[in-house]
Amino acid sequence: MYTPTTTSTRGRVRLNVGGRVFETTSATLASAGRDTMLGAMVDASWNSGVHDDPAEYFIDRDPCCFAVLLDLLRTGDLHVPPGLPEATLYREALYYGLLGRVRSARLGDFDPDRLRLASSVHGRSPGDGVAIRAAPDGGCCVSHGGASGVVRVYNWMLQERRPVYHPAHAPVNDAAYLDASTLLLAARERPGRRDDDGGVSSFSALTGETRHRFRVAHDRQPRSFTATALAFDGGCDVFASCKGRINEYGVAVWDCNTGEQADFFYEPPGCALGEADRLQWLEETNTLMVATMFPRTDSSFVTLLDFREKSVVWSWSDVGTPASIEDKHAVDAVAMEDGRSLCVVNQYDDLGFLDLRKNASGVRWRSRSKLAMSDGKTKKAACGEEACYPKLAAHGGRLFASTGDAISVFSGADHVMTSTLRCSNGGAICDFSIGGDRLFALHGEENVFDVWETPPPPII
Amino acid sequence: MNGQKKRGPRIEPFRHRVETDPKFFDKSWKKLHDAIREIYNHNASGLSFEELYRTAYNMVLHKFGPKLYEKLTENMKEHLEEMRTCVEAAQGGLFLEELERKWNDHNKALTMIRDILMYMDRTYIPTNKKTPVFDLGLELWRDTIVRSPMIHGRLLDTLLELIHRERTGEVINRCLMRTTTKMLMTLGSSVYQDDFERPFLEVSASFYSGESQQFIDCYSCGDYLKLAERRLSEESERVSQYMDVKTNEKITAVVVKEMLSNHMQRLILMENSGLVNMLVEDRYEDLTRMYTLFNYVPDGLTTIRSVMMSHIKDTGKSLVTDPERLKDPVDFVQRLLNEKDKFDNIINVSFNSDKSFLNALNSSFEHFINLNNRSPEFISLFVDDKLRKGVKEANEDVLETVLDKVMMLFRYLQEKDLFEKYYKQHLAKRLISGKAASDDSERSMLVKLKTECGYQFTSKLEGMFNDLKTSQDTTQGFYASASDLADYPTISVQILTTGSWPTQPCNTCNLPPEILAVSERFRSYYLGTHNGRRLTWQTNMGNADIKTTFGNGSKHELNVSTYQMCILMLFNSSDVLTYREIEQATAIPAVDLKRCLQSLALMKGKQVLRKEPMSRDIADDDSFSVNDKFTSKLFKVKIGTVSAQKETDPEKLETRQRVEEDRKPQIEAAIVRIMKSRRVLDHNSIMTEVTKQLQPRFLPNPVVIKKRIESLIEREFLERDKTDRKMYRYLA
Repeated sequence: MYTPTTTSTRGRVRLNVGGRVFETTSATLASAGRDTMLGAMVDASWNSGVHDDPAEYFIDRDPCCFAVLLDLLRTGDLHVPPGLPEATLYREALYYGLLGRVRSARLGDFDPDRLRLASSVHGRSPGDGVAIRAAPDGGCCVSHGGASGVVRVYNWMLQERRPVYHPAHAPVNDAAYLDASTLLLAARERPGRRDDDGGVSSFSALTGETRHRFRVAHDRQPRSFTATALAFDGGCDVFASCKGRINEYGVAVWDCNTGEQADFFYEPPGCALGEADRLQWLEETNTLMVATMFPRTDSSFVTLLDFREKSVVWSWSDVGTPASIEDKHAVDAVAMEDGRSLCVVNQYDDLGFLDLRKNASGVRWRSRSKLAMSDGKTKKAACGEEACYPKLAAHGGRLFASTGDAISVFSGADHVMTSTLRCSNGGAICDFSIGGDRLFALHGEENVFDVWETPPPPII
Repeated sequence: MNGQKKRGPRIEPFRHRVETDPKFFDKSWKKLHDAIREIYNHNASGLSFEELYRTAYNMVLHKFGPKLYEKLTENMKEHLEEMRTCVEAAQGGLFLEELERKWNDHNKALTMIRDILMYMDRTYIPTNKKTPVFDLGLELWRDTIVRSPMIHGRLLDTLLELIHRERTGEVINRCLMRTTTKMLMTLGSSVYQDDFERPFLEVSASFYSGESQQFIDCYSCGDYLKLAERRLSEESERVSQYMDVKTNEKITAVVVKEMLSNHMQRLILMENSGLVNMLVEDRYEDLTRMYTLFNYVPDGLTTIRSVMMSHIKDTGKSLVTDPERLKDPVDFVQRLLNEKDKFDNIINVSFNSDKSFLNALNSSFEHFINLNNRSPEFISLFVDDKLRKGVKEANEDVLETVLDKVMMLFRYLQEKDLFEKYYKQHLAKRLISGKAASDDSERSMLVKLKTECGYQFTSKLEGMFNDLKTSQDTTQGFYASASDLADYPTISVQILTTGSWPTQPCNTCNLPPEILAVSERFRSYYLGTHNGRRLTWQTNMGNADIKTTFGNGSKHELNVSTYQMCILMLFNSSDVLTYREIEQATAIPAVDLKRCLQSLALMKGKQVLRKEPMSRDIADDDSFSVNDKFTSKLFKVKIGTVSAQKETDPEKLETRQRVEEDRKPQIEAAIVRIMKSRRVLDHNSIMTEVTKQLQPRFLPNPVVIKKRIESLIEREFLERDKTDRKMYRYLA
């Protein structure tokens, strides 16, 4: 080992970690930040009486993990040697206060065309998952169907937290993260029960505790309701598509700080607002998209609401469209992030586009799906196994569509397919979600979800 | 019992008993407790951070988080209680210093405690929504020390007392003030606001309210404003030294309110030193100060503006209505210009070239200039004076700026058409008598009028210039065509297009035969070159140079008007002529003739003729003869005409009538234009639209508009609506 003999030993630090000696500089350790264990350890306030050079410290921890973390501090690069369990590394990182650094070194900025399958997580719930939602910090939650009302929550290390149980185990329709530690659930109220068990509630994603129930009142009378879809505008408003017992259909708005109901948009004739499949907040136009799709209803409806003026800004429905031979229906819809167009998909995986800037326009269907063409297997698989309707998502200017067991990424103004993500086990994808620099894909069978992430870019 | 015995060996389920040391928590806590004590005692050098960190880590790991948090809170509270006693015991001036010292100690200790408990901060605290350790330490400091009954009031009083002493001129330890207020800010903006800022603002308000009461009675406005300005900058400086930046705005508001807003009217209107005085005496510095300070006061500038406006209007009104001033139009306009300059300067220098002040200035001028209906005439006369030959201002640039300023005044005029009338007359005089100083200046004035009022306004004026130019060419052409004219007097003819020039009653006089001959030659030459034209001699407008030899032998060249020339030429053939004879011979209108004779016979030093009797008035039988004793130092003698530059009253009336007459077709044209596009319109709308259309030229009188409408109805351009009498309908 090369040891500089002539240069001074100023700033050198010798660490004995669990018996293994490391030498580094205090600058390297301080680079972890004053709010980390290592940063505090070399800080002047803890070394006022010590003058020996190089400074020596003993740390009673595992040396293998420390080696990885010291390497991270030195290079900014996380290299985990084979055989070192990730869970152990995370535990050690938490001890040193370096978990945040590990996370950012592990997860590069989300790039749909450079995604890599990070892991497949097997759940243990009895029922298959029905919905998956990405958390802002890279974790996720999986809602399971059936009467369990359970939502399984994972942190970004994909360790399962305490699950969230909806009170009275009401079936959960939709979930949304208000922030990394707050989860919103929309649940169905079950007929025949007197107590109001459905509706919208917030929970601590960390502990699973109930935080708040969002109530709906009509004519100042609190009413129980079924909530089917949720959205959050990123500011302070929470939206839910609500269906009351006495046909109070519409979209309710709450202030997420006070938890009080702020507004209720009653369903006007010709629109379907009360049992939507998807709510989406459009930042660009300050509107809320409400999509109620086949097969929940006989026809599909998409509506854009402006809550400042309480008006319907745009709407579309395929009611009255002559049913084609194949009997195509739009089964999912997503508004592109620029707020200018809306993408729909039918059960045969065809993509269609609608212009949000003018009303009463028709769907421009893309010629018979390249999605399906590109992969004959999907069709076969769909025949054999339980088929899932395709789902859509828009993120970072890209369009994502699930087809069978794969997710396709479309880029550019013309939505050219640029990537396909496929992981064979688990069957068709029934839901997927993007957030916290990750893409989560939930499979319809085998209770498994895939985690896709972007590795940090190569240095050269 | 027996059955049990028969059973085989019982297999106990394998259990991993985690044997935790029952004293684990107490032991661990003691370690931390001791360490914290050492830290507070400045004796941390012997402590191992790694060990303490690991101890706290293990406690949290073993689910002792809540208990640890609770113990920590208790422990810190104890330490703070000790500190409190020290601070309370500090005497007088040492109080703040002791507080500062303890605050620094606590801060240092808190950082280290936070370091030890960092793992708890990361795991237990966010999950359970507790206050992080550092914030907890601040909260405890706030509740145990800053807000403890013995310290709370004393701290505030000490701070306010020090500030008061500084305000009255003492020097205080600003550094200590800074650390103390900084501590309050660190404890949260609400602590700073509740425990310091609000009381501070209240005390300041009463301080400045008292001070302003004291000084407003004995200070002049300027001095008082100086004081206010000083106080404001002092307070700003104070805030920048040892308070939160956000306080600046609030304390400024307090000072402004107490020292300025509450006394605004009194200050601005203060006798002998208020705004009006400052304006009169051009006290730029005081005015600047007043503007800057009252900019902070709501309505402050509005008040200043309105006081300034009424001042300008008052002085302006007394200027334009002063009969003394009406005697000298040039001086009158010069005074207006001076007044304008004065206020322009004040606004530019002191009022930050504020647009609203400029607008106020303009509207005030507009108001008072139009109070005097002779303003258009005077302004035109002023321009005439400036553009006339021989005016001392040889420098064209100076002239140009003067003209620009005059244009400012012109803009204020409501009756621009009246100005145009006068300007045309004056320009005509200048051009014909050849007195226009500089063609460039004349033209530049025309361009200014053109840009201000449009092509229409100046087209005739431009026509006048063209006439002169062509006349020159024509005269040259005339002399070039005829070579036999050497014996005749030389004439220079100016051919004026009818319509372009101010109309003059045509008073042709009998020209002397010598002149008549040349004139007739010229007429035939001109009509020969131009078809279908008519020439009329405007003898009232010309002038002539005559070489004269008097009886005493002295030779002079007399510069006289055409009329005067006709009179003098008569004396070539006779020695004595009576007035009646002259009138018959020349056929000059009586008024003009008398004027000419007066100037020839009665002007001191220029008595070319002798009048018998030597009275001022001219009777029919008065006789005239050449003054043989005429002498003059100059060879060239200019005989003026006795004529007022300013219009006489009857002339004024006449001009006014002419203007009114000219306005009629303009109003009618406007009405027809409007009705043609609108077809049907009610009376009030017509009124407003017509006024709007004609505003650039003059302000039409509603009565006149109404008359014009009636006249148009008579002539069947319009009709009244049959059902609604207020509606008019355009008849195509």
